[in-house]
Amino acid sequence: MTTASALLAPAGPGRRPRWLRRRVAMPGLGLTLGVTLTWLGLLVLLPIAAVVVRSLGLGPAHFAAVAFSPRALAAYRLSFGAALAAAAINGIFGLLIVWVLVRYRFPGKRLASALVDLPFALPTAVAGIALTAIYANTGIVGAPLASIGLRLAYNPSGVVLALVFIGLPFVVRTVEPVLADLGQDIEEAAATLGASRLAVFRRVLLPEIMPALLTGFALAFARGVGEYGSVIFIAGNMPYKSEIAPLLIVTQLEQFDYEGATAIAAVMLVVSFAMLAVINLIQARERRWRDGA
Amino acid sequence: MTITIDNLVKTFGTSSALNGVSLEIPDRSFVALLGPSGSGKTTLLRIIAGLETADSGHVLFGGEDVTNRPVQRRNIGFVFQHYALFRHMTVAQNIAFGLTVMKRRDRPSKDAIAARVDELLALVRLPGLGGRFPSQLSGGQRQRVALARALAREPAILLLDEPFGALDTKVRRELRGALREIHDRVGLTSIFVTHDREEAFALADTVAILSAGKIEQFAAPREIERAPASEFVRDFVI
Amino acid sequence: MARRRMKAAVTESRAVRCALILIALAWLALVILLPLLAVFSQALARGSRAFWAAIVEPDALAAIRLTLVTAIIVVPLNGVFGMCAAWAIAKHDFRGRDLLTTLIDLPFSVSPVVAGLMFVLLFGANGWFGPWLIAHGIRIMFAVPAIVIATAFVTFPYVARELIPLMSAQGKAEEEAALTLGAGFFQTFWHVTLPNIRWGLLYGILLTNARAMGEFGAVSVVSGHIRGLTDTMPLHVEVLYNEYNFVGAFAVASLLAALALVTLAAKALLEWRHRDSIAATGH
Ligand SMILES: Nc1ncnc2c1ncn2[C@@H]1O[C@H](COP(=O)(O)OP(=O)(O)O)[C@@H](O)[C@H]1O
Ligand SMILES: [Mg+2]
Repeated sequence: MTTASALLAPAGPGRRPRWLRRRVAMPGLGLTLGVTLTWLGLLVLLPIAAVVVRSLGLGPAHFAAVAFSPRALAAYRLSFGAALAAAAINGIFGLLIVWVLVRYRFPGKRLASALVDLPFALPTAVAGIALTAIYANTGIVGAPLASIGLRLAYNPSGVVLALVFIGLPFVVRTVEPVLADLGQDIEEAAATLGASRLAVFRRVLLPEIMPALLTGFALAFARGVGEYGSVIFIAGNMPYKSEIAPLLIVTQLEQFDYEGATAIAAVMLVVSFAMLAVINLIQARERRWRDGA
Repeated sequence: MTITIDNLVKTFGTSSALNGVSLEIPDRSFVALLGPSGSGKTTLLRIIAGLETADSGHVLFGGEDVTNRPVQRRNIGFVFQHYALFRHMTVAQNIAFGLTVMKRRDRPSKDAIAARVDELLALVRLPGLGGRFPSQLSGGQRQRVALARALAREPAILLLDEPFGALDTKVRRELRGALREIHDRVGLTSIFVTHDREEAFALADTVAILSAGKIEQFAAPREIERAPASEFVRDFVI
Repeated sequence: MARRRMKAAVTESRAVRCALILIALAWLALVILLPLLAVFSQALARGSRAFWAAIVEPDALAAIRLTLVTAIIVVPLNGVFGMCAAWAIAKHDFRGRDLLTTLIDLPFSVSPVVAGLMFVLLFGANGWFGPWLIAHGIRIMFAVPAIVIATAFVTFPYVARELIPLMSAQGKAEEEAALTLGAGFFQTFWHVTLPNIRWGLLYGILLTNARAMGEFGAVSVVSGHIRGLTDTMPLHVEVLYNEYNFVGAFAVASLLAALALVTLAAKALLEWRHRDSIAATGH
């Protein structure tokens, strides 16, 4: 090798450890991965580490006492229960909306489809006050309901209502591509085998879209558990009754109870990670099942 | 430019793609790399181009070690099986790309680039099509554009990875003749990957037969037919 | 032909179809359309003059300014990050790639309030860096920097999430062709990759922007709620609402709702014009 080409060439074998040696021609990995890891580390991992370290610092007994105080337990029960109920409602109505959007043609379909995405783009606080305006006892839907004794705002059902709004697009946008990709031949095959329409749906279609439906359900649930802005306006926010876990964190921060806030945040973080793991698992299983097929 | 390939080894995870490949390719010769699917042809070609890095072994161009030289500075032309044309650029912009990304100091003037594009379009027999987009061309035309693009910077070495694999027989034959003509006219050293025996034998001065990451035989077509070096070669070529 | 066959064998009766469509539309109207309309009707409840007065009021203008400043800082940062992450993940293979992809999604599943709290634990008076920051007279908590940082956290994944599937689906062939033609990293990215992802990138940026301007929970925790200084538009909405100034609250809210509608319209337009170059994503 001439001196000139030795200068031109990047470090050759032997000059760098094996793992650092240039392995791919595609350039830019060092730069882009460096930016990615730096930004991820500073903005996401470091703050998460702060919560973890701080709550470990509380010691197990104290942590349990503040993280699982009666008020905190009531808040978890509401946050998880309402998120679960809302995700279930979204599972049902989301599936219905997907079905209608994918299978039928009707005027205003494109508008309806665009409307589904609104909760992704509308700020949560705006959603919160808007839902309250409609469903409070003086609102145009809330008033007639209140006259028959159904009160949707300022109690736990208000929380569910807000989370239904927030979670709907997660279910619709997860299930929609799967149903759209599903050929009609399997339905026709089932029909030629004498299955009724309902049996075709239950035994043929539902199993096919179940993984996507579960993913959408899990996404809506995960989002609902941590939701704050859309909920606090309509929930009533009574401790032990209609106080969600994120609101409890805010309240404790306002009272400078950093330990309590940190402990509850740690519990919610663990739940977030668990949900993320569950969602990844569902998707990995679905992929394997599809590739295997 | 002579190409020396010295004991290249490459594994992907646990599967080995090349098990010690050595070749000496003379200046201005036309070599076909022939072998069944999965025998390592693409891997070898990409290592020569600098698109992939070998685990060990060396590549020399004109006696100079280029093993660690990045692809941009190897001065090779590469033709991909599925054209890899830039979809959002016109044919002329595609062909000019290699010239327009040169450092300002080395870059030809706009007029010189336009003249070179016209010259290349004439060379690949597509005069006047510079304003079209790749999506408006047939498969054979696209591969002609890809060839012109690869030649724009006047590379000494042309590497082609099953360039006609996606085309029908009639177009293949046509392009085959055109390619050999351009190779001779420009004075290139070309390596042509194919799994089609007939194509390799019709086109190349020398054929390298690859099987499971090893060279089985490297000889002129007639020599291979006369004296196949192994059982595998006999089965594969006859 | 296809439609006739569908009618014959595998669709529901007309009555069932109509009923299902009506239920779906009624649900969408109740859950999404009505609240959206409520924002505008409440904003204009006292006429357009009251609406306008609520928007040009100094605190509202300050909130609008702060929200714009935040978005102008956060969107480019997360845009660049998203492009870097997508390039590394979609165009390269390295150990830990799947883990990295999962980690990028993390902020999606963290409650915004928890996100805000994290930065209190870092920059607050009792936080890891708090004492040092105070000693050096640097103000982050309850000030604009904290608002920017919390917003950056919440909008962190959007561009990356949009680009990773898109760039993976497009493969590496065009980039490799550019490399063999002598192009370097920036040239390849600028001339070859960027034109292929521009619509997806634009959509990711629009979504990031909508989220950045609308973020409430995380910003609420770190802002300190100083009227005219650290109140963003969503926080200002809350303040007005809690003061029973409903016209004011809904007037500012209607600006945010309009932004959401513009974002959705742009999305619909992009999907319609450039269906192939926008990957379907769930977020
Ligand atoms: N990027 C890659 N990752 C993993 N395995 C690969 C990769 N590229 C090639 N291989 C493997 O290396 C072997 C040789 O492949 P290749 O060079 O593409 O063969 P050919 O071009 O002759 O069909 C095959 O077994 C193939 O599966
Ligand atoms: Mg190949």
